[in-house]
Amino acid sequence: MLISCYIISNRGQFFEAESREDPSSRATGRKQYMEENNIDDRLAVYEIGYLVAGSVAEEKVSDEAEKVKGIITKAGATIIADEMPHLEHLAYTMRVKTVSGSYEKYDKAYFGWVKFEVSSSVVEAVKKSVELMPSVLRMILLSTTKENTYLGKRASQIAVAIMPKRAFEPVAIAGAGVGAITEAAKDVAPATIEEMDKSIDAMVREVK
Amino acid sequence: MKKQCYFSQHNIKFIDYKDTEILRKFLNPHGRILSRKRSGISARYQRQLAVAVKRARFMGLLPYVAS
Repeated sequence: MLISCYIISNRGQFFEAESREDPSSRATGRKQYMEENNIDDRLAVYEIGYLVAGSVAEEKVSDEAEKVKGIITKAGATIIADEMPHLEHLAYTMRVKTVSGSYEKYDKAYFGWVKFEVSSSVVEAVKKSVELMPSVLRMILLSTTKENTYLGKRASQIAVAIMPKRAFEPVAIAGAGVGAITEAAKDVAPATIEEMDKSIDAMVREVK
Repeated sequence: MKKQCYFSQHNIKFIDYKDTEILRKFLNPHGRILSRKRSGISARYQRQLAVAVKRARFMGLLPYVAS
């Protein structure tokens, strides 16, 4: 590829610079630069939404979800949030070609999703292996952000799964018993709105 | 009177393809995406909405054509 450009020197002179560059050399150059400077591929947040075929028994759907999560974690990903597959009536009939060459039609499928953080270099391999799962009817891979996770109808169930367990553990007070807790509560001054805001911010930071 | 953007009003910063309840508000009875003129949402959110609807259609959560 011929690249020509004009370079203006600090004295105001014009130079025409020409270089013949192979298109593939840019990619190799980037790779070499990253290797020389010890730069890893950047971590990014992705989401995989998948449909498990409706023909799978309801008891086995959780196993399929675990398999998908297994593929993702095997690639060195950290799971941020997920939702177990639940039965959905599809808006249209989906057709999938089987090994024998015939088509299978599905009106219902189990829809689930996983949000995870992984190196951008391995995400394609993750996508391929989820796609190749025989029980997965269809899948979608999106690049997304850590924030703005849609919890929707099942918000309460997912929130419990995402929130750190210690947030739900009861606080142990010396001289346990209901009376002891109420006595301790009497001494504590009621929290102001500012204090509550601060504690909520701290909790959000922990979750992130 | 000028219509206010639904997503700005409700402080929704990211339109998710899984949120079919909201997406359905911006489809006509045939399942087509409403134009900006009719939906009244800002250009930024109209673009996000179009992508989200197309993703939801691919996953079978919304129809391509509804009767």
